[in-house]
Amino acid sequence: MSQQFLMSIGWFGLALISMLLLSAISLVAARSGSCANKFRFESETKALTLLKEWLSPKQRACYERFRYFDVVGCDTGTRYRIHHGTQTNIEELSTTGRHVCKWCFVPDGDLVAGDVMLTQKIALETNERGSLSVARRSCVS
Amino acid sequence: MATQIVMDRTGDTRHIFDHQDHAEVAKAGQRFRELTGAGFTAAVRSGPGEQRIIRSFNPAAEETLFYPRLVGG
Repeated sequence: MSQQFLMSIGWFGLALISMLLLSAISLVAARSGSCANKFRFESETKALTLLKEWLSPKQRACYERFRYFDVVGCDTGTRYRIHHGTQTNIEELSTTGRHVCKWCFVPDGDLVAGDVMLTQKIALETNERGSLSVARRSCVS
Repeated sequence: MATQIVMDRTGDTRHIFDHQDHAEVAKAGQRFRELTGAGFTAAVRSGPGEQRIIRSFNPAAEETLFYPRLVGG
């Protein structure tokens, strides 16, 4: 009887320790996730500040209102709309402003949206053909 | 003072140098060559919303932005 009692206490203790360990692991995982989110948020804020500094007043006003801005390709004069984002976010527009296709090229590395959009702007405005030569074209609207 | 802005996962890293200081200018020039040699493109602002690409180090540039090589998405 006393042996069974001791075994029960042992199992109970083991279960308690396991629960405490699991709680500690969850807490560490949640904290590391929140740190990663904070890091991403700070990086994004910094990159968006830089982007806005490099946009023209018209582009900045447009971006702040609609989360996109237009650029004109330096080689062909084509107008492109750069939407907020990091993938397939460049829309080629016709002379009447209608959707033609989408383009995707990005700076190498895991950069945040502000940096990606600024790179795309500079690339299209200074080296349109070179930029599109590495880009992926998508005709799905 | 001049700034070299290098895009990275933190948003960017800034290197500030005094363009009157020869040692700092030499270091900035070295950084320029290393970054462009590694595939980064260097751009300077030439007006509001306007920029131009530079291929060689310009110590007089107030702000030089470096972005990594382009890849298809």
